[in-house]
Amino acid sequence: MEKFVDLAGSPNPTRRLLLFGLASAYTASLIPWALAQEVTESDQSAFQTLSSILTGWRSLDAAQGKRLYAALVADDPGFPAAAKALLAMIEQRKTDPMQLQEVLDEEKSPLALVPWRIVTAWYMGIVGDGSKARCLAFETALNAEVVADVLKPPTYAYGAYGSWTSKPR
Amino acid sequence: MADRLSADFVVVGSGIIGSLAARKLALAGASVIILEAGPRVTLAELVARFRNSPRRSDWMSPYPSVPWAPHPIYQPEPNNHIVQAGAYPYAAEYIRQVGGTSWHWAAHAWRNLPNDFRIKSLYGVGVDWPFGYDDLEPFYQEAEEIMGVSGADNTGSPRQKPFPMEPVAEPYAMRRLRERLAPEYEVVSNTTARNSRPYDGRPACCGNNSCQPICPINAQYHGGLSADAAEAAGARLIANANVYKLEHDEKGNITAALYYDPDRASHRVTGKTFVVAANGIESPRLLLLSTSDKFPNGLANSSDMVGRNLMDHPSTSLTFDADEDVWLGRGPQSPSSINVMRDGPFRSEHAPYRLDFTNISRVDGATRALIAAGVYGSELGKRLRYSAAREMNVKNVLEVLPDPERRITLSSEKDEMGIPKPEARYSIDDYTRKGHERSQQDFQRIANLMGGSNLRFSKEGEFANNQHICGTLSMGNDPRTSVCDQWGRAHDHENLFLAGTAVLPTSSTCNSTENGLAVALRSVAHVLEQQGASTSATGISKS
Repeated sequence: MEKFVDLAGSPNPTRRLLLFGLASAYTASLIPWALAQEVTESDQSAFQTLSSILTGWRSLDAAQGKRLYAALVADDPGFPAAAKALLAMIEQRKTDPMQLQEVLDEEKSPLALVPWRIVTAWYMGIVGDGSKARCLAFETALNAEVVADVLKPPTYAYGAYGSWTSKPR
Repeated sequence: MADRLSADFVVVGSGIIGSLAARKLALAGASVIILEAGPRVTLAELVARFRNSPRRSDWMSPYPSVPWAPHPIYQPEPNNHIVQAGAYPYAAEYIRQVGGTSWHWAAHAWRNLPNDFRIKSLYGVGVDWPFGYDDLEPFYQEAEEIMGVSGADNTGSPRQKPFPMEPVAEPYAMRRLRERLAPEYEVVSNTTARNSRPYDGRPACCGNNSCQPICPINAQYHGGLSADAAEAAGARLIANANVYKLEHDEKGNITAALYYDPDRASHRVTGKTFVVAANGIESPRLLLLSTSDKFPNGLANSSDMVGRNLMDHPSTSLTFDADEDVWLGRGPQSPSSINVMRDGPFRSEHAPYRLDFTNISRVDGATRALIAAGVYGSELGKRLRYSAAREMNVKNVLEVLPDPERRITLSSEKDEMGIPKPEARYSIDDYTRKGHERSQQDFQRIANLMGGSNLRFSKEGEFANNQHICGTLSMGNDPRTSVCDQWGRAHDHENLFLAGTAVLPTSSTCNSTENGLAVALRSVAHVLEQQGASTSATGISKS
């Protein structure tokens, strides 16, 4: 089982040492600062800011953000520093989110997987790869929210029998 | 022995066909034991597994393989349950669980076309069935009344009685296809085991759009309901009972089924008559495993035909963006088809096919694709909405001809229970390939008629599999070229009946479940008739 860090349940979430799991291959090979990091309010805040830029959503749910952040950190103790570094880079260079991945890939940046992980977490509700992937959000994942005025997430009833025959507005 | 396991009929496999065969036998007063390799799982568990799955487009994600009854898994890592030894991989999926694989079907319940039974006589390809459409017609009806099938009459399969239900209300996207493709193509409602009104205690469809992998409200029929019905009729269902061998007496009659429980303790179940209904791969596997001095090549296999003539329905497809918002994902997943290429003189040259339109929400796949392309920021939401509203997909469902070289055998590799794994030799031949090539012009034309742009044909040479495993225990009149007779009775064993899609001699262009079920119900009626029992009851309350 994957371990999740429940920051929301902590009486003092400001400074809490995270030492969960082994560093992933990605962490070990690409992120030199892959050591246990301390999560602070400022880390969390940086993550929320970065998430807003990458997802294009101004007001992201804070509780969901904490869960996603905790899972990302559990997979990779170097994540807080990587997220901060990415945020700093975007702010410094005023990088357009649409150009970001191309820039990171071209520069062979060690941060290249970070936006992908963050956007996958928010939009799909999924953190981790392969057999370590797990779902943290479904009906509140952003890809459900984006189309919520027209579609229901699969398994949720669209409506009464036949309600799907009408032209979607 | 505390619990002596014996019955008039022992059925191996609790899928939709095994369970409904068992139910019919039990309703006629017979004692029946059903042995199911896999576990019992509830609908609520399956829905929860889907919602919590990180692979929502992998229909198998709510159905993990269990060590005591492994089945094929391909994601996130393949478990290699089926060893591949052929020219083209046969990536079959099936579920070993009470209720079997139709837990995650799209509920297509098509009848064959009358000509599907005579393709050798009419077109010089494949084989003729040992009986015709008219012989099977009453059993199609019986199957449709049990499952609760909704459909329209314009699909080329004549009927004596009306469908139990009218077609499920047409999703808006399918209406637009029907309107814009007319008169060049007639888009018809699929024949499906999906309720268009409350039926047999189950509700009408509410458009949950998760028919695959799980309908959360049982508006769609599935094998779990069949297993419940078999038990309600008096059959005893033993889950987690992985049958690994059938035993016989000196005359060649089957005497017992041996199964492993999850602790690999062996149990023996005796019976008067045995029905093997463990799907198109596990059924031949069991017969091949059941070797003895008298039958060194396994049971029912004096012809060496067990496991041969493996067929399915390969598909290629086209995804495109329509020039209007249609929003796939409203209503059931698989509502409409084009049937014009299911039959014709061309069948002497190339595979016939049904053209199938999906109504599966594009959200999951489009999100993945956009993120993989590095689309971030506010553009991501905008493009996701565009894809979700505009993307459409059409695929072909191609017939595969019976070929003895396409087959299931036993591998030298063993599964977690120490039982030899199934090994597949599969191929895509020119007949099927030419059908694919012919369908490309339909794909292109359909996209044009929908104002399509951004056309994405599936990769040339790659065929998706539809999990309609059939042919491996083919029925026929000639014991040298078939495994069982027209009643499913093994040519070699008086009291061994074979049921399931494995007995179908050809694959035609429709999903195999209704065909396999109707054939099984016909077999059971024959068995009961021979034993002087009543065969009429379907037990479905008319509502």
